[in-house]
Amino acid sequence: MRLPSRRTAAAIACVLVVAAVAFLRLSQADPLPASAIPAHAADRANGEVLFHAGSCFACHKPPDGAARASLPSGGSPFKTPIGVFYPQNLTPDAETGLGRWSEADFVNAMTRGLSPDGRHYFPAFPYMAYRAMKVPDILDLRAYLASLPAVTAPAPRHRVPLLGLARRGVGLWKRLAFAQAPFAFASASGGGSWTRGAYLVNAPGHCGECHTPKNLLMIESLDRYMAGGPHPGGEGKVPSLRGLVERKKYKDAADLALALQNGEELGYKDISSGGMGAIQSNLAQLPEADVRAIADYLVSLK
Amino acid sequence: MRLTKRTLAFAAGMSIGLAGAWGAGLAAENPAHQRHEAMETVQESFKPLRAIAVKEAPFDAAVVKKNATTIQDKLKEAHGLFPEGSDGGDSRAKKEIWTDRAGFDQAMKDAIAAAGAMAAVTDEAAYGNALKTLGGSCKNCHDKYRLPKQ
Repeated sequence: MRLPSRRTAAAIACVLVVAAVAFLRLSQADPLPASAIPAHAADRANGEVLFHAGSCFACHKPPDGAARASLPSGGSPFKTPIGVFYPQNLTPDAETGLGRWSEADFVNAMTRGLSPDGRHYFPAFPYMAYRAMKVPDILDLRAYLASLPAVTAPAPRHRVPLLGLARRGVGLWKRLAFAQAPFAFASASGGGSWTRGAYLVNAPGHCGECHTPKNLLMIESLDRYMAGGPHPGGEGKVPSLRGLVERKKYKDAADLALALQNGEELGYKDISSGGMGAIQSNLAQLPEADVRAIADYLVSLK
Repeated sequence: MRLTKRTLAFAAGMSIGLAGAWGAGLAAENPAHQRHEAMETVQESFKPLRAIAVKEAPFDAAVVKKNATTIQDKLKEAHGLFPEGSDGGDSRAKKEIWTDRAGFDQAMKDAIAAAGAMAAVTDEAAYGNALKTLGGSCKNCHDKYRLPKQ
């Protein structure tokens, strides 16, 4: 083969450089500045409610047998088609947890999927849903986590091929994914309990992460909102949350609320397996009115 | 040979009988199918217990004993029906049953013990907690060792 002429080589090099610069720019982190965080007197009790509403402990629960297993100091490996992720320590340990995080760091993690040093988190951490949370709620959650005893528990490095490059790729992906508007809970208008339920389900609850199928770009496909689909773990299916009463899965909202509070302890057999058992254990700790709100909203999905 | 109505009926009867026997034989050899049947009975027997808990039916120690005993028997039966390699197909059994056999056995034993404790409940005050423990043992095992629906 003839070598390309000097001119062609220069052109190719130019294109490559431009592409690399464009990739780096487009995949850059875009954190909120600290000045954008409103002053807020944190309410730890509300933070605890959000901790359960988000089922944080379902993923951040250390594996069985670990010391201090009641604290969110890590989690079991989270297997996805992209790789294996290790949930981070959420206790206030300075070295391995959130001890040194500022309010802005925490809000950036929750709503923009960014680490304090500006790396992109993989969306296995469901910031796509959390970005619809109210900032005061996020600050309350931070205050609750900060009130827990600190546990030293470093998370292993994620097992993802080309981890650094993949993270930059997430930056590009976010440009597409964030273009889809977050759930507009403010315009939800079905009454007090329903509106509260809409917020809990869509923002902290992140139910759609499993119950709404994703499109080829791994973005939730809103025309199939909560319609169920393949299980993200690779085996079996996630059920649809539409028409739960019409399809006779539950009698009414009160029945669904009982199911969320008790699960199989009251013989609701469809609410374990595939990770839902752990979610239900978390939701069971919510105030009764919040569980009912979730149920009121869910049964309204036709 | 002339085909009379009688020979036809005989032939039809034989084939149905054979097919039935073959089907039954398959089911008998298939532990996944057998344990599924046992679990279906467990679930049916749980219903009257649940009705008492949500106050759709009055507390009745005889009903509790009868259903809890059935649950215990069927759980014991099901526990013996998880030979290695009996996953796959329609079965929702997770591989962890065999990779973590000790954990699975313990979860099953806990459930069997909870059903036994339930059968011994004679007063209403102890009922709620006994049911929670029993139902919780179902959940514990299903969370860890059962796949989501196919």
